[in-house]
Amino acid sequence: MRRLNPGLLLWTLALLLPLATLLSLATGTVTMTWSTLWQALADLFDDGDLSNQAAMIIFNIRLPRSLLALCVGAILATSGAVMQGLFRNPLADPSLIGVSSGASAGASLVIVFAANGMAFGSTLGLTVLGLGAFAGGFAATVLVYRLATTSSGTSVATMLLAGIAIGALAGALNSLLSYFSDNDMLRQISLWQMGSLSTANWPKALLIGAVTVPLMILFPRDSRVLNAFLLGESEARYLGIDVQRVKRRLILLTAFGVGMSVAIAGLVAFVGLVVPHLVRLLIGPDHRWLIPGAALGGAILLLVADNLARTLTSPAELPTGILTALLGAPFFVALLVQQRQRF
Amino acid sequence: MSLVADDISLHLAGFDLLRDIDLTVVPGQVTAVVGPNGAGKTSLLRVLAGDLAASHGRVLLNGNPLSSWDMEARARMLAVLPQHAPLEFPFTAREVVSLGRTPHRTGRVRDSEIVTEALELADARYLDKRFYTQMSGGEKQRVQLARVLAQIWEPVDTGERILVLDEPTASFDLSHQQLTLAIVRRFADNGVGVLLVVHDLNLAARCADTLVVLSCGRIAAQGRPDDVLHEALIEQVFGVSCVVQRHPADGTPLVIT
Repeated sequence: MRRLNPGLLLWTLALLLPLATLLSLATGTVTMTWSTLWQALADLFDDGDLSNQAAMIIFNIRLPRSLLALCVGAILATSGAVMQGLFRNPLADPSLIGVSSGASAGASLVIVFAANGMAFGSTLGLTVLGLGAFAGGFAATVLVYRLATTSSGTSVATMLLAGIAIGALAGALNSLLSYFSDNDMLRQISLWQMGSLSTANWPKALLIGAVTVPLMILFPRDSRVLNAFLLGESEARYLGIDVQRVKRRLILLTAFGVGMSVAIAGLVAFVGLVVPHLVRLLIGPDHRWLIPGAALGGAILLLVADNLARTLTSPAELPTGILTALLGAPFFVALLVQQRQRF
Repeated sequence: MSLVADDISLHLAGFDLLRDIDLTVVPGQVTAVVGPNGAGKTSLLRVLAGDLAASHGRVLLNGNPLSSWDMEARARMLAVLPQHAPLEFPFTAREVVSLGRTPHRTGRVRDSEIVTEALELADARYLDKRFYTQMSGGEKQRVQLARVLAQIWEPVDTGERILVLDEPTASFDLSHQQLTLAIVRRFADNGVGVLLVVHDLNLAARCADTLVVLSCGRIAAQGRPDDVLHEALIEQVFGVSCVVQRHPADGTPLVIT
């Protein structure tokens, strides 16, 4: 298959992203024409005037939600791309190998033990929750990596099985915690587990933004290293790369990104699998292009998915995670079939 | 200045994999390691490449212990081609060979020239834009060879260059075996020290300046192929009776079983 020019793809995606953002601001239960949207945005930027109803809807409801979708999409897609490089396998996705489940278990533990009556809508509460999710996600990544990778490569079967095991453990832990928690905590846990982007507000959007920016700066710096990593761990070492340090750094960063996005938006599956795969199909596996491509593609995908989630059954709303799963699961099966034919 | 194994022993999981190994890879010369399966050839190679730490003894690269070198500086002097290459992503041949330039800061233009020349040398130029995942075993091996050649293509000022190859001819047909030996010779003539692990004794005899025979983790014999390859030694190490003759064309030892 012929490849696309990477620059062309990146520019196209970079142009599509603002369009997708504007579209998501314009659509919803109250549909806006482009001129209303334009007027409202102009008012907002002029003097922060919220008296206009459209401006208020955009500023208080849609803008934080769009930012949240954009950031979570970018984080999940780049984390997926980096993990696939780290595991040297295109099937390594945070939600499939148990990192997301580990993160959700970590977050549940925090809700039950660490924070009696803490308000998880506040920035502080969210940060604590995020750290719990980060710890859980980190433990899961380390465990899967230890189990599945050997010097001769990564065993896909072990990797996916470890994901199932961690998922089951996290599920059991969640049920156990739900069983023993009081009414208030139970509400907190189930609300949070449903996640989705519908609970978006400014504290959440700003927090995830503060996570996204450093990750988008740090991930691309390891592009060349990740390229060499695809040859194998020993080969990367022969090429002068401090393999242990790189592994530790990237596992920490991906667990941090996935943990925070799970803490804030709940489980949004398959973005980390589908987006890097499509980008790789179009422009090849070079991480110098793959990582920015995945960031843009993930942001667009989640914006569009969330848009559909809000409008398909309007005025009711679907959790965004259901939509990405509906999209991602068949894709995953197709990948499995393809891999099976190859071996 | 060279790659020196100084009294190396390796114990792993209760097994003595290597014992009392002393050998020197001299710049400008080809050293071939031969021995039966399980004799410790690959373990020795992995210790010399810095992959495994020796339980006893040390490895010196250009006078300094291997581990004391900065990893990038080391990679500019020491290139290693392992036997299996587990690459499962659709890089093109050019991209794979470019990875060999990872430790260098020579700039994109020079790197691209070197990559082209290395592909040419390994008879892989026609694979340039082809995907690694769709190549045959021999083609993959040639692309990987070009990659390690690109890694030590030019002399560096920190010390002599060393090229370590584990069974580089394993999946090659006759003409590409000859090509590999010619390449190895050419690099040695340019001052590179080459260490080669091979199975085929005749191949080793034809290309090596020094032959190292490993048996059960020890060096059974070491020296010029002429002095080392004798019926008695081969019988003792490989358990095979044979006749050693002269190669009619170039006079190197020829082992006939």
